[in-house]
Amino acid sequence: MTDKKLKLPEVGQWPDKLVVPALIAGAVLSTVGFLMAFFYVAPVGGAAVNGAELIGDVMVSQKMLLSQKIFYFHMPVAITSFLALGFGCYYAVRFLMTKNQRFDTCSRICLEIALLFVVLTMITGEMWTRFEWGVWWSWEPRLTTYLILMLIVIAYFVLRSSVDEPERRATFAAVVAIIATIDVPICFMITRLIPSSIHPVVLREGGMSPEMGLCVGLCALGMLLVGFVLYRTRFNQVRLTQRVEALKETVDDER
Amino acid sequence: METALSVDHLTKSFGGRKAVDDVSFALPEGAFLSVFGPNGAGKTTLLRMLATLSRPTEGTITLAGIDVKEEPERVREAIGLISHNPMLYPDLTAEENLLLYAKLYGVSDPQKRVIELLDAVGLKHRRLDRVRTFSRGMTQRVSIARALVNDPSVVLLDEPYSGLDPHAMHIFDELIASVREDRTFVMVSHDLDKGLALASHVLVLARGRVVHFGEKDQMSPDEFADLYRTTVGMGVS
Amino acid sequence: MERESEYRAADRGRMSGSCCKAPSTWTQYKTLLAKDLKAEFRTKDMIVSMGIYAFLVIVVFGVALSFARPGSEFLEVSGGLLWALVVFTSLLGLNRSFSKETENGCLEGLLLAPLDRGVIFLAKATSNLVFLALVEVIAVPLYWVFFSSFAAPADTGWLLVVPLVVGSIGIAGIGTMLSTITAATRGKDVMLALLFVPVIFPLLYACVSATTCALVGGDVFADGFFTSLALGAGYDVIMILASWVLYDFVVN
Repeated sequence: MTDKKLKLPEVGQWPDKLVVPALIAGAVLSTVGFLMAFFYVAPVGGAAVNGAELIGDVMVSQKMLLSQKIFYFHMPVAITSFLALGFGCYYAVRFLMTKNQRFDTCSRICLEIALLFVVLTMITGEMWTRFEWGVWWSWEPRLTTYLILMLIVIAYFVLRSSVDEPERRATFAAVVAIIATIDVPICFMITRLIPSSIHPVVLREGGMSPEMGLCVGLCALGMLLVGFVLYRTRFNQVRLTQRVEALKETVDDER
Repeated sequence: METALSVDHLTKSFGGRKAVDDVSFALPEGAFLSVFGPNGAGKTTLLRMLATLSRPTEGTITLAGIDVKEEPERVREAIGLISHNPMLYPDLTAEENLLLYAKLYGVSDPQKRVIELLDAVGLKHRRLDRVRTFSRGMTQRVSIARALVNDPSVVLLDEPYSGLDPHAMHIFDELIASVREDRTFVMVSHDLDKGLALASHVLVLARGRVVHFGEKDQMSPDEFADLYRTTVGMGVS
Repeated sequence: MERESEYRAADRGRMSGSCCKAPSTWTQYKTLLAKDLKAEFRTKDMIVSMGIYAFLVIVVFGVALSFARPGSEFLEVSGGLLWALVVFTSLLGLNRSFSKETENGCLEGLLLAPLDRGVIFLAKATSNLVFLALVEVIAVPLYWVFFSSFAAPADTGWLLVVPLVVGSIGIAGIGTMLSTITAATRGKDVMLALLFVPVIFPLLYACVSATTCALVGGDVFADGFFTSLALGAGYDVIMILASWVLYDFVVN
């Protein structure tokens, strides 16, 4: 009964009107941010390395790195992935409250977007780690957290594919999405707060200059808009497929 | 006679598919309803909703005067379910299994009640044996005792015959007859003969919808078989 | 039949479906817990297989460390190895614990009884904790017997019991919840590992840190032991609360 009054996300609602402007704005902002990163913001010092380290056949301890520019791409992507996970959790809660399949669809798509951006974060982060610290992997809080996040999101999709019954699949997926959203901040906190006397952590420079902040802000806004466009487009596609399936079934029934 | 169970515009859907679609019927106290239908007709979904194991999307179920959606806990006290799954722990004895359920329901004198029930299903002498050592038929008899531990006014049966040999089926029928009294029964089965033998009312479902509902005596078994073939067979072929 | 009439006589006093008074949550919890313990101690198959598995993991560690030089550096690794042992062993147990409930449809039987779903969770988590604790009582000393030749732990070494308790509580809590989910999936063993390891990661990190602090002792102990424990305990509280709330949805 309550389902009737419930406002469900559907194809053709107001967010769809924003898709084209958001796409244009997102593309422009990301491009501007990207160009700014190279032509406007001054290069900053790379992270301090523990002692001298061999990077690209050169012994360095501290240097101005062009590879730091990837930061302007890395951080916005990371923010977007986290936001996508947050929305996934929100829709998961809505699903558990209403048991309406629409919210399950929304939650699933949010997690797909989250997975895409988490993988991008990992790739960009990897590049940065390699060039700044000279290692392929470091168990640094942020990296670790993102690795865990990526593993949980992958587990989420494996779980979805291993349950056949739609309602049960949706419920399990929603529960895992919520657990993931609770787990990830705790993971960051714990890996961050536990003193590093046993476990030396590579230091990262603190503080951003105003122009750096501006550049990151532009890129982040652009990336969020791109994320939104991707979500909405994917949602429309999935929803229309579902509606076609439902129509097919009705036709089958009538015959 | 008082109404023991009434189902009103009951619908269960997920996504676009409706497993149970606008089903309504009412049963008087002491009735035995057999639900028939092909696979995927929504029989089990209907039974699971009656058993409070699945929430209806729309519509209401009133069982022993209680709304299932509003107060599932109170409904659970008034129902018993016998399915093809015995719901017994194989490593516990028959007595321990029944005691567990009796305690969960808060039966006033669990020990006495359990012995009575085991006696009623003719397994008092095996009460200290593990359920793992029981034959399928014996397990199913303990399962009847389990379902009656809270003295339910409505008993639900979900394909209770599957896996039973003819002799065990016969014993099962006798036992069910002996515990009938004024309880209301709802049985899901695809065995037409078995279902009709016990029934006072019949309900035929196809693709989640009611095709036929009425007292069994309204038509002869042959007429019923014809009806079943024409209505249900239509969609299947 | 005579017993039939006997049964009826006993049954006559009933008022339609109201023979019983719903017992207290605490009684139901005790009943469920007693059921799990009784069933397990009768067959002992879960504890025995967990114990054997733990021993085999220790043997594998022995091979892995056979070329390592003994020395105090070993203490920095041993805490982590101990936790690897605990995680692998508990994974095995958790996989088993819920398949017992689904085997005969018993879970459905419990769901039909008028009891809160949270009680089922708490009882199951408690029994898992008991089994895990029993295996740890055997496996942890065994671990030290085999690796004590590498390095002697600091005086504070015995305090590793505290992170073991904190970690086991968390593992039993969140593990019970996840094993309930995976028991109903295809390829449940792998699925549980896939969900369990990343979700438990923060707790594991905190516990390894606390254990290592206790083993190394000295300044390191003062620095990290209590912070790590507090964080691990915080994880326990949050995750067990979340599991308890979400359990209702998982079993229905």
